[in-house]
Amino acid sequence: MTNASALPAAAPWIVLKFGGTSVSTPQRWATIRALAASRRAEGARVLLVVSALSGVTDALKALCGLADVGARAAAAADIAARHRDLLRALGLDRLPALDAHLAELAALATAAEHDYAWQAAVQSMGELLSSTLGAAALSAQGLATAWLDARSCLLATPLPNQNERTRRLSASVECNADTALAARLAACGEVLITQGFIARDQAGRTVLLGRGGSDTSAAYFGALLAAARVEIWTDVAGMFSANPRQVPDARLLTRLDYEEAQEIATTGAKVLHPRSLSPLRDPRVPLLIKDTQRPELDGTVIGPEAASDAPSVKAISARKGITLIAMESVGMWQQVGFLADVFALFKQHGLSVDLIGSAETNVTVSLDPSENLLDSDAIAALAADLARVCRVKVIAPCAAVTLVGRGMRAMLHRLSTVLAEFGQVKVHLISQSSNNLNLTFVVDEATVDALLPRLHDLLLRAGALRAGDRALFGPSWQALYGAATAAPPPPWWREPAARARLLAIAAEATPRYVYHLPTLRERARALQALTAVDRWYYAIKANPHPALLAALAAEGFGLECVSPGELAAAERAAPQAARLFTPNFAPRADYAAALAADVPVTLDALHPLLHWGELFRDRELILRLDLGRGLGHHEKVRTGGAGSKFGLPVSDLDLFLRRAEALGARVTGLHAHLGSGILDPRHWAQVCGELASLADRIGTVAFLDVGGGLGVPAAEGEPALDLAALDAALLEVKRAYPHYALWMEPGRYLVAEAGVLLARVTQIKHKEGVAYLGADAGMNSLIRPALYDARHAIVNLTRPDDRADTLYQVVGPICESGDVLGSDRRLPAAAEGDVLLIADAGAYGASMASHYNLRKPAAETVLS
Amino acid sequence: MNALRDPRQAQAFRFLRCDYADGVAELAYAFDDGAELVERIRFPDAPALTAERHAAFAAALRLLHLIAGVSYYKAGVPATITVAGWTPDAASADLLDTLYLHGLAEFAYRNGLDLRGRVHFPRTATTDAPMPALELPRRVLVPIGGGKDSLVAVEALKAIGADATAVWIGTSPLIAACAARSGLPTLNIAREIAPGLFELNRRGAWNGHIPVTAINSAILVCAAILHGFDAIAFANERSASSATLEYDGQQVNHQWSKGWTFERALADHVRRHVAADLDYCSLLRPYSELAVTRAFARCGTAYFDAFSSCNRNFRILGPKPADRWCGQCPKCHFVFLALAPFLPKPRLLAIFGRNLLDDDTQAAGFDALLEYRDHKPFECVGEGAEARAAMTTLAARPEWREDALIARFRREILPQLDATRLALGPWLAPAGAHGVPPRLAAALAWIGEA
Repeated sequence: MTNASALPAAAPWIVLKFGGTSVSTPQRWATIRALAASRRAEGARVLLVVSALSGVTDALKALCGLADVGARAAAAADIAARHRDLLRALGLDRLPALDAHLAELAALATAAEHDYAWQAAVQSMGELLSSTLGAAALSAQGLATAWLDARSCLLATPLPNQNERTRRLSASVECNADTALAARLAACGEVLITQGFIARDQAGRTVLLGRGGSDTSAAYFGALLAAARVEIWTDVAGMFSANPRQVPDARLLTRLDYEEAQEIATTGAKVLHPRSLSPLRDPRVPLLIKDTQRPELDGTVIGPEAASDAPSVKAISARKGITLIAMESVGMWQQVGFLADVFALFKQHGLSVDLIGSAETNVTVSLDPSENLLDSDAIAALAADLARVCRVKVIAPCAAVTLVGRGMRAMLHRLSTVLAEFGQVKVHLISQSSNNLNLTFVVDEATVDALLPRLHDLLLRAGALRAGDRALFGPSWQALYGAATAAPPPPWWREPAARARLLAIAAEATPRYVYHLPTLRERARALQALTAVDRWYYAIKANPHPALLAALAAEGFGLECVSPGELAAAERAAPQAARLFTPNFAPRADYAAALAADVPVTLDALHPLLHWGELFRDRELILRLDLGRGLGHHEKVRTGGAGSKFGLPVSDLDLFLRRAEALGARVTGLHAHLGSGILDPRHWAQVCGELASLADRIGTVAFLDVGGGLGVPAAEGEPALDLAALDAALLEVKRAYPHYALWMEPGRYLVAEAGVLLARVTQIKHKEGVAYLGADAGMNSLIRPALYDARHAIVNLTRPDDRADTLYQVVGPICESGDVLGSDRRLPAAAEGDVLLIADAGAYGASMASHYNLRKPAAETVLS
Repeated sequence: MNALRDPRQAQAFRFLRCDYADGVAELAYAFDDGAELVERIRFPDAPALTAERHAAFAAALRLLHLIAGVSYYKAGVPATITVAGWTPDAASADLLDTLYLHGLAEFAYRNGLDLRGRVHFPRTATTDAPMPALELPRRVLVPIGGGKDSLVAVEALKAIGADATAVWIGTSPLIAACAARSGLPTLNIAREIAPGLFELNRRGAWNGHIPVTAINSAILVCAAILHGFDAIAFANERSASSATLEYDGQQVNHQWSKGWTFERALADHVRRHVAADLDYCSLLRPYSELAVTRAFARCGTAYFDAFSSCNRNFRILGPKPADRWCGQCPKCHFVFLALAPFLPKPRLLAIFGRNLLDDDTQAAGFDALLEYRDHKPFECVGEGAEARAAMTTLAARPEWREDALIARFRREILPQLDATRLALGPWLAPAGAHGVPPRLAAALAWIGEA
């Protein structure tokens, strides 16, 4: 029995807050009972703060808006029925306290007076009802729970800028630890339940706390009682490093300080209302966010700043719908009162300014979105007024992308790849506050959906968001809540037999590439199983090893080549396979040779048609288009957009077609390839849709080649590209455009995971706290880490069971600072001669290898 | 029957047959003695034809057969046209000769062809007897395309309480979404182009723009008889009647079959040759593009996050503005510009997800709309003067005037224009003839309200 031994007078308080969905069913009340009992068992007094049943506050608001008294009475009756249903479901039949509140609601519904005080009284009923039900339910389940009227504890503080509406419906409470109150509540019982969202004013009338009100109530009680902690129980485990809807890879934030949390709550996260943190800051009461459905998850703890933590970016967020007002004026900014006059105009038009950036002749400010901004003439009127004193420009729609983390300025050097990403888009304003908690970039809104996941990924890769630090970060949202995708099977080289085989191969000679044909065939068959794609080509530049070409040709793949050398290699290894020639800036002779061999040729520029027209007379052509943007994990793998040399811009399409027509050449295929390492399964459908709509204007097109770029997960355990979703998205486009065949030409996807690079440890060096692990393979064998910042998993194959407790920079023997195969890798302490395995090295490894430093690159071995 | 050959070598284009059964119309064509090209139109949930509508439907189907043939005829433009089994009367042949000549004018221009004197439908010397009225139900078929124009027509019909059904041809999630927003009953007709046409195209057939509105109109005439509607209300506005350019003495109008000449000719033809009480009209006919965008700004709120006039992203539906508006094509440019004077700037930018007028790379596209240094592009867009009036209006608005392309317009283009012809006001009043029947006149007036 929970109430077996009485608590001492000094027992600490724990405040638990539950939202609408958590109080709407008997099962959820059982969870609340279990949690309250367990806190009581810890030796704490428990105060439960509850919201109204889900949907009830909205129903009460709607009731307030009804003009007809009969309709209001009916709405009140509906609400009453909902609570009586729950009462019965809880196994209780009569509850006089509930009846009393319901009678009060019925009376309010038919009252004549409809001022703000009345609205507050009506809307307060939801919490009064739910807490009354809760007290009865918990007591009936054996946990004696006393009902407490929150209005007897929370007294609203009038603020100077409040009007009647905000005083009644959006009140604030000033809270200091109140030992007398704590003693009074302790006398009421050990477990208490009270209402979120409501308080009283000086005259004792009911007021509301506004949006996020129940979280705020819990924080007020936490401060008044100087509680040991406040726990917010909700439907998600806590705050994340980004909005999971935009970035499924967002990580759970396990520890934040108040200021960081406030910043994150303000700039995007919806889990916690930012108002609920400030009451807890001074009394240093920690706040814990937990998932009611999955209480075993860590959750987010928000507390005082922990001085020991190394700086890390904690979160990235984007707020959309931002409007910028840029004001240009020469020399007037310095005049006394000029800026005050300018800002007075904003106030006059009801617009509140958020970010500010200024220069000698320019002041730019941001306005947050609101319906007022969207659908009134406020902006036009403001611009007209401002135009009298300066040159004004309205820039919209923008989005504010904010990085949050304590000590932001100390991390700038780690943000180089992140900042480079901003080089791809137009940045209108940068803002960094003196509290050093944030860094905000205002960019065009259209870019932000694609930008945010990339930035998050770059922050992870750059180590600026130190997700590996388990004290600060938990699992990804995808891992916690994502659709239950079957975890990809462990890689082939994890098998003990394969490991033994690899060690034997390494004993012969290193460095060495080893290719596993069964893995290659598995990938090939998975692609061939997609129903949307009519023809597959393998982009042999990824790895032109003859055994791989023959194996893929046997799986029904054609071979996509970009040079005469590749055409010859394809012909030698798989003479029966269809070939495709897709060069870029190749000399005339290359095209002539391909045409002479009857290989379909792709053009991606006007030059060949304009200057070598006769070559293409009466030929069928494939045209590679640049759809105006690029995608991928690194600038150097993007192949679309003005910054890339690939593809004919769509604006030149008409000219190209006229020229082709004049030569009797026909465009039978359209091709676009936007980049590599793409994990969004809808990407190719978008490309396909765009190509199809262009193909409809051409008329002679028979197939669309949407390229490759299918991503391979960068680390074990990361979600793989969802092929079923890819197929479904493509099929949807095919239904709209059934007359086009669909081609794809993956490269890396087929071969990357089939290949590993084996190397042996040469030397180990410690330098100012950094441990370097030397390998006999370097960037002359595998250049991807140096060229693309690519991440390859590295494993010490000699010591599979040792604890990975040493942080290494894994480097090669080439005389370049960039000869790093992997940074900050936690591996077992290694010794000279250990065999290292560098994973996912089957693509763009051997094919990009060189003899730099006159070192031989790794030899190749095939396991069939 | 021979396999498909290059249709450009053919001597004759042959209308073989048209049939209807169980909701499916089949239209068959051939070049010379080549393989049959069969197009199918599927009318969903078609009721059985009543005896009194048989003759009218047969006439509508024959008309559809002849009009839809333009898609195939153009692949080879042979010198001879034959119609198996019957002969159109002189009035019908005139209508078709005109439609094929003007409807294919842009196609001819693009392909360097001259169709004048080449299109001759066979004809009888007589004129068919007029068809009687069928006492069709007082219901309006309103074709919708997911763009602003047809949605204005929809809202106008709703405003006067007309019994209207939204109809569209082909699968389009975008149109389906707009239809659902309209709250009207819907009818979705499927059209399957003969697969052989794609094969002919690959074999080097002539290809290019066809008068698709004429084909859609003929399909809806069949649908009206079949399902029982007494009016078909399109949403073609005034500027659809003007030529996009003149070439070798011939007017070329990209949207000829959306123009007044064709509307009037087809409406007369339908009343005389199909059913005396079936009206075919355009509700927007006397209005300029700007008058229509003003109406849409007023009544289109429910569609702001669903509609699109963009041709490039047309059939792919997505939740983001960039999914519906490519932002690069003349349609995007024009709709953006024409809505701008009538919507709060933040709202307009939220619809498109970006500001096309503050993007230097779009200068050439907007220049084309303004008919500055370039002729009008081959897409369904307003007259250059309308674009100039809209741009001039924005140039005077403080919230717009500093945007890159408007600042450039003020600096470079505006000084060269005749200042007396740049007002917005004159574009907002209705002008010119229309064929809207009296019972829908209130909807016509509603569109022009301020």
